[in-house]
Amino acid sequence: MEELDLLKKDWKKNENSFTQVSENEIYKMIHRNSSSVVKWIMIIGILEFLFLTGLGFYFADDSYTKSLEKFHIDTLMTILTFVNYAVCIGFIFHFYKNFKNISTTDSSRMLMKNILKARKTVKYYVAYNLSMACIIFIIILISSCIYDETTINTISKINSQENAILTWAGFIGGILFVLALLLGLFWLFYKLIYGFLLRKLYRNYQELKKIDL
Amino acid sequence: MNQELEQSFVKQLKDNQNIIHKICRLYTSGEDAHKDLFQEITIQLWKAFPKFRGDSKFTTWAYRVALNTAITLYRKSTRSVATTEFDNTKHFIKQEDYNYEEEEQLKLMYKAVYQLNDIEKALIFMYLEDKDYQEISETLGISEVNARVKMNRIKGKLKKILNP
Repeated sequence: MEELDLLKKDWKKNENSFTQVSENEIYKMIHRNSSSVVKWIMIIGILEFLFLTGLGFYFADDSYTKSLEKFHIDTLMTILTFVNYAVCIGFIFHFYKNFKNISTTDSSRMLMKNILKARKTVKYYVAYNLSMACIIFIIILISSCIYDETTINTISKINSQENAILTWAGFIGGILFVLALLLGLFWLFYKLIYGFLLRKLYRNYQELKKIDL
Repeated sequence: MNQELEQSFVKQLKDNQNIIHKICRLYTSGEDAHKDLFQEITIQLWKAFPKFRGDSKFTTWAYRVALNTAITLYRKSTRSVATTEFDNTKHFIKQEDYNYEEEEQLKLMYKAVYQLNDIEKALIFMYLEDKDYQEISETLGISEVNARVKMNRIKGKLKKILNP
């Protein structure tokens, strides 16, 4: 192709036309902080771990423990807490290992794949925490229906009403709506952060995959 | 030891800095963006340097890390280039061998290359740098055959942009 050869000739001719950076400037540069995608994903990932773990500690106060005893689910919850710790340590280990695997000397495709993999670890951790929160919420709800007097009284009061089914439907619908709203907000927040960070990487990864189809 | 490593790195990078400049030229527009990407590539090269064992050439190794930084790690979008910025390709053409027709064609070529996406630019870059298809395929992580096919498609695409 004639035009491309012309371009190559020009490209070679201008090889030495750049303003040269001095050794001193390079020294300065290597002591500055990187602002790469990997670094940001790692920082956000660590924040997510800290936030979710911190949230668990925040809720585990005295009154929470007492109500667990009252609901006869304290043993179950202790077991779940230990399971949680084990899973959390497993995730952190995985997260660390995946980040260690990211290497700029790999091929572009491998590098992108490893970044997305590391990112996925955090995603699974968040998904695990959300489902765990849902399970605990359901367990507490059920046990409070069995053991908590106020709840039992409220239930029988609603049941004695004429349009009990309608009230229940409204009640359950309300809970589902709030849950969906919270999850939706969460999802939107995620899309924004990671969409912003990973849009370019994802686009290029798809492009490479398309070439090798 | 660390200081020795630093010295050896800075020296080699200084001598081979044009590799990075060329990538910056292709992936950014404007001086600030050029400097910004240059710095990020330098940081990434330095981070990867302890693992560089010298069993490949410094330049071969640097090409890979630099390209990876431009298309994967660098956060700012390197894709869109405002049309007004194309004029900075003008000074690439030296006065002594001024040829109006050639200059117009080159201007169009540069403009067309800037319109390609990140991956296509990487392929064109390695083509301009006389890299063989084996190295292109290893750098990007695609098969050699597909690298050839894609290169031909890009050539076709450029042709189309130049002769609509």
